Amino acid sequence: MIHLNNVRKFYGALEVIKGIDVTVEDGEFAVFVGPSGCGKSTLLRMIAGLEGIDGGDLVLNGTRINDVPPDKRGISMVFQSYALYPHMTVAENIGFSLSLKKVAPAEIRRQVGEVADILQLGELLDRRPGALSGGQRQRVAIGRAIIKKPSLILFDEPLSNLDSALRVQMRAELQRLHRELSATVVYVTHDQVEAMTMADKIVVLNQGTVAQVGPPMELYHRPDNEFVATFIGSPKMNILPVAMTRDGADSIRLAGPLGMTFALADASLPEGAARMGVRPEHFKVVAADAAHFVAEVAIVERLGVETYLTVGSIEQPIVVRVEGDVTFRPGDRVPFAADTAACHIFSTDGRILRSANVA
Amino acid sequence: MSAAPPGESANRLRGDLMAYASLSLISIFCAIPFFWLLVGSLDGNAQLFLRWPETWTFANYLRVFAKEDGAKWLFNSLFVVGSATFLVMVLSGLGGYALSRTRAWWKLPFLYAILLIRVLPSTALIVPLYKFLLTLNNAEGALLRPIFGSTTRDIMRWTGFIDGYLGLILVLATMQLPLSLWIMKTFFDGLPRDYEEAALMDGATMLQRIRRVLIPLALPGLAASGLFAFMAAWGDFLLPLILLSSPELQTLPIGLFRAFLRINEIDYGLLTALAFIYLVPAVVAFGFARRFLVQTFSGGVKG
Ligand SMILES: Nc1ncnc2c1ncn2[C@@H]1O[C@H](COP(=O)(O)OP(=O)(O)OP(=O)(O)O)[C@@H](O)[C@H]1O
Ligand SMILES: [Mg+2]
Repeated sequence: MIHLNNVRKFYGALEVIKGIDVTVEDGEFAVFVGPSGCGKSTLLRMIAGLEGIDGGDLVLNGTRINDVPPDKRGISMVFQSYALYPHMTVAENIGFSLSLKKVAPAEIRRQVGEVADILQLGELLDRRPGALSGGQRQRVAIGRAIIKKPSLILFDEPLSNLDSALRVQMRAELQRLHRELSATVVYVTHDQVEAMTMADKIVVLNQGTVAQVGPPMELYHRPDNEFVATFIGSPKMNILPVAMTRDGADSIRLAGPLGMTFALADASLPEGAARMGVRPEHFKVVAADAAHFVAEVAIVERLGVETYLTVGSIEQPIVVRVEGDVTFRPGDRVPFAADTAACHIFSTDGRILRSANVA
Repeated sequence: MSAAPPGESANRLRGDLMAYASLSLISIFCAIPFFWLLVGSLDGNAQLFLRWPETWTFANYLRVFAKEDGAKWLFNSLFVVGSATFLVMVLSGLGGYALSRTRAWWKLPFLYAILLIRVLPSTALIVPLYKFLLTLNNAEGALLRPIFGSTTRDIMRWTGFIDGYLGLILVLATMQLPLSLWIMKTFFDGLPRDYEEAALMDGATMLQRIRRVLIPLALPGLAASGLFAFMAAWGDFLLPLILLSSPELQTLPIGLFRAFLRINEIDYGLLTALAFIYLVPAVVAFGFARRFLVQTFSGGVKG
């Protein structure tokens, strides 16, 4: 179990990690996700011991390890560049940490063999990294990490150098490995798809702070703030400015762009300006008399199983997901309705006021 | 693409022929001096102008080693230049690494300042340099003489700053260090820190990181910086001429020069043989380093 307690990092006067509290349980696959520059790598390197910690506590399995040197922490790291030594064979790369500890060559060979079996690297052991494909290098880098039997494995954007097909394959492979080794993993990425598909727990970071922690579906359906709402999910959640006026004690009326207007059953929302978040799948094409608004179709993206329509103005585009194919063409005016139960309401500064009522 | 029209392909052929012809001419032009040396050195009666030998012989080479002090000159050259090169490789490896990784504000000013050393012609500095070394040398002599007495001169042959190996080695290395530092700094700039950090996380000590990770990774860069240092120092003539006076310390270029200056008659056979011997180590050094050079100048390490 790794526990970060109010962890901070400064570069000069600039605070890049602003007090982070996160706990990753044993055997958990935790993904730290956030936009570029939010401090993911820095945080990971602080856990690894490659960067100093300027404030707070880093606790691994009950011991504070702020000042323990990297190799004594029992943590392995897979680097984004893989950092495989080009002058060593695959076997030497994997066994490097053991050879540093002066383990007997026969024992190294045995353990390297074991790791190679898990990673299906058997035939490649005598090759140099230069003669491997991207996916194979990736596996060697993982092999080098797991041979140390670490209590925690760190990954820094390990898939970003791979093409998209291989990325999908490696995602599955990493999940399989995680299950087989029952390892505790902290995985850093800026790709929310990786986070959603692999994580037991997602930690969304924004400018050095934690925006929200939770399982993928929790973050998807009940984001704590507009940042998480728009960061998780692809295509992004639509955010529309709305004006709210009380209809009655239990009902509030929302007026948005494109003449959009409908009532929500709610007793607690305040009147005034707010921001409404609706995911693309929560808009529907409806009959004209049931429409919340009518909008002109600007872009039609057909993916076969689903179609994305971008409708409305350029300043305030709305993305709508439709099952299957559609006959619409750019320029058509189409009536839409929002699934009012699935609407999120945020305050103008991005805090959640009302979560969607979906499972 | 459709096939080129006939006129164009004839044009291309003519262009290729011209290119090959001119390249061949240039390479013949470049190769002739070497060929001349080789032929001359094997000629029993070599003359100033190139001619086909009447008798082929190794006598010229024998003379270099038997009658002249060729072996000693060669040793001196190899020892002095080799030591300087080794020194340059060690210092530029360590220094280049430090310069690449530091974020100190003086980094760039420092790098440009040392390049200035390289740009200044050493000939212009020869008088102050000589003065400086002489002062050091005298101080060293004054220090050693009371202790070692009459063997002092033998020690100073190795450790002296004037008329001793050490002085020449240090000066040669100093002249070559700036360029090598630049090469190594640039090389390490292209070497991701991840390698060292991975080794650090694997529990490698500082020495293990240097020996098992950094040196192997830096070999291409070291080969380049070493080769440039070796070539420049090997070709240097002025410094050994000024700094060495004892006959037993002479280097190859000085031996060659002195042989050329002899009053009675110029022995072209001996000169060409000497010159050829002088060429060989440079070519060998190039051969060793070539493999690495390609890597260094075509974009770092592939991992
Ligand atoms: N050595 C440094 N000195 C000063 N600032 C730094 C240093 N390293 C990182 N930073 C800053 O810290 C912030 C976080 O950097 P970090 O590398 O952790 O981002 P990241 O989330 O990993 O981004 P990416 O997705 O692009 O890798 C950035 O704003 C970056 O500019
Ligand atoms: Mg990063």
